[in-house]
Amino acid sequence: MTTEPTTEPTTPPARAPRRVILHVGTPKSGTSYVQDVLFRNRETLAAADIHYPVDRFDAHFLAALDLMRLPWGGLEREAIGAWDRLARTVRGLSGTTILSHEILATASRSQVGRALASLGHGTPGGPEVHVVLSARDLTRQVPAEWQENVKHRRSFTYASFLRQVQDPERSTRVASWFWGVQELPDILERWGAALPPEQVHVVTVPPSGGDPGELWRRFSGVLGLDGIDLDLTTDRSNPSLGAPETTLVRRLNRATNRDLPPADYRPLVRELLAHQTLSQRRESPRLGLPPEVQTWVAGLEDAYADEIARRGYDVVGDLDDLRGARVAAGRRWYDPDHPRERQVASAAVDAIKVLLLENARVGASEARLAEELAETREALERSYLRPTYQLREKIVRRLEAGRPGRVAMRVYRVARGRA
Amino acid sequence: MTGSTRARSWVEHLRSGGTTPWAAWSGSGTDDDVPGRVGAYDAPTRQGFLPGAQQLELLRRVNLAAGSGGSTDGVRRAGLAGLAERVLAASAPGRGAPDLELVGVREDSPFGPRPVDPAELTAGELMRVASSLLAEDLVAEAAAAPAPRPRALRRPWARPYRLVGDPWVADALRPQLVAAGRPPGGPDPLVLVLGADLPTMLAHGFTARSFDEGGPPWEEWLGRPVTDRALPPRADLPTMLGEWPVAGTSGVRLVLDPALVPGLVGRRRPLDPAPRLSAAAVDLARWVGVPLGLLVLPDERARLLRHTYLPRVRDHAGAPLGLPESHREWARERAARVRDQVTTAGYPVDGDPARLTGTGPDGTTPDDAEVLALAIALLLGQDTGHQGRSTR
Repeated sequence: MTTEPTTEPTTPPARAPRRVILHVGTPKSGTSYVQDVLFRNRETLAAADIHYPVDRFDAHFLAALDLMRLPWGGLEREAIGAWDRLARTVRGLSGTTILSHEILATASRSQVGRALASLGHGTPGGPEVHVVLSARDLTRQVPAEWQENVKHRRSFTYASFLRQVQDPERSTRVASWFWGVQELPDILERWGAALPPEQVHVVTVPPSGGDPGELWRRFSGVLGLDGIDLDLTTDRSNPSLGAPETTLVRRLNRATNRDLPPADYRPLVRELLAHQTLSQRRESPRLGLPPEVQTWVAGLEDAYADEIARRGYDVVGDLDDLRGARVAAGRRWYDPDHPRERQVASAAVDAIKVLLLENARVGASEARLAEELAETREALERSYLRPTYQLREKIVRRLEAGRPGRVAMRVYRVARGRA
Repeated sequence: MTGSTRARSWVEHLRSGGTTPWAAWSGSGTDDDVPGRVGAYDAPTRQGFLPGAQQLELLRRVNLAAGSGGSTDGVRRAGLAGLAERVLAASAPGRGAPDLELVGVREDSPFGPRPVDPAELTAGELMRVASSLLAEDLVAEAAAAPAPRPRALRRPWARPYRLVGDPWVADALRPQLVAAGRPPGGPDPLVLVLGADLPTMLAHGFTARSFDEGGPPWEEWLGRPVTDRALPPRADLPTMLGEWPVAGTSGVRLVLDPALVPGLVGRRRPLDPAPRLSAAAVDLARWVGVPLGLLVLPDERARLLRHTYLPRVRDHAGAPLGLPESHREWARERAARVRDQVTTAGYPVDGDPARLTGTGPDGTTPDDAEVLALAIALLLGQDTGHQGRSTR
């Protein structure tokens, strides 16, 4: 399907009411997987009049940055005007349109108002808007958010992160962002205030260790994809790191943040080291909550589940999924701020190995390019050996040596249109 | 009356030009306390939600400033009404505190950030909203601005030169020379490195950075006054001089008096000096640059700040940027080192070398409240010439 913006909103076809489904978060709740399936199958979906309007994988991310005017390490430059372009495209589409990005969770009420209005919500002939929020228990989300922070170059400790998010003032940027994307009742109130509760859908993420296909079945149902033959394989996900691996990346951040430009950090540290290498170490201890934080988190989880039930939203899954697994009494908690150094060193060896291999690959590529360059130079020099070229070069050199000659050359170049 | 009803009536009060603080708002507000009242504005796109405390308090401050301006003509009233709607619909860009609830509206809700009394919000919180609106204004004004003047033809006899060093002064003089048919560049150029006393170099370096790319606040940018700490690149005169090899040039000269530049490049007429801005005007450029960078590309951001924003704050009468007391002794010592380095290197100097160790003009550190007042005046289109604590 094409994602070229249409010039003006078109009249919706009479055959089916238009629907816009806004999947607005939360981070670390299977959103990358859903977005990749939608992206890879967008042509199949379009045939079923279900549209995922993107011209690049992160198109909705850029649109979200633009809507919320968020700087993001320079990416915001590519986002200028992206939301309005996306909204214009959506207004011109028939059937169902799906928009998805997890950072939309943090949109303010006025930004939500602008988003809904730009999609035509509430106008005659406008679409029926549905909001989908996928949600995972805070017991897993709290450590996952710290890990995301680390993968975005932060270098504060886990203890510091926990102190910030537990502070009722939420005065730091870290705390304000965390609650902006994780406080389910508040997100739902911001996004769902203008919609009837049956058009607000909460997809709960099943507990770890269950049927791996269950989360997709929940998404498929709520997005209206059941019965469509989709390719569900994906090479794009946001895999988790173990605790020692997260510690290693945090230490790397501390050591390299001043020197490594953001454009290099993303491919080298976040992608190559974290996602492709360290996340493969699946035997490492996982991040979890310290015992003294578990009770506080459990209270919040209960409050969220009760509030969502009270408001009457459409729950896809089980609200009990939002209550995280309690750690068995006596089981030791792994503190990433005081890790077993042998485990961190082992992760570091894997990191060094992959960087050496990458360095060798880049070196080989550089040698190949140097060879190609030498061949090109040789070919160029052969063409320079022609007597007419040598004569012209000699004349130009002589002229450039003196002021009158330089002026003459300038006049000549202007006359030839080369100035 | 419920908290929500009271809040909505306060929004209407503010919408119609009211200035009563939230804590004093009874919910049955009269119009007696409305200076510069603009009349009820029945906006067709009135929000279905309650705006955040930041937006509401900013609108109250705007109304206060509009009232003190005293103008109530029809065009101005319509403009104020439009501005009120823009303030109410705005969100603070970037990361930071979300839109906050008013205290007393939803006391029973355990969710969302802690409600606040808007009067207690810092000027910095209000600046996040105000700077976003100002950035929108700059983009809109630039769209309506006439095309820039074409460049004059290069004079064939013009002396090749490069003008570098103090970025604020060099960036102000260079376009004037280009317009006069003397663009920088050419073979074997004479390299003119503009310099000044260290406090001025630091203030100009921060000013140039604020207009070009933004960054941390003044005192954070200065860093701790530690002896061996490197100077910021935009204020590091010895490094600037050292970047230009003598080979391939007609020489490298240190110019300590910008008025000498025309003579050195072979022009008779003097050039306009670099603008002297108040500390508030400089800091406001830094604030506005952040949301502006989310609306336009970096080159356009710098162009808008210099060509659209700067003329509006050029006359702001606040005190210029100056070093905090904590940095003065450090600056005195560093300036002596700079002088020794430059003298030892043996560069020819135009101007009085004693200027290198001067203390610069009296100045101040930017004050958020003053920056906010300037921002509001600009939003209202007021003359900023009378504002600020003038020491000039």
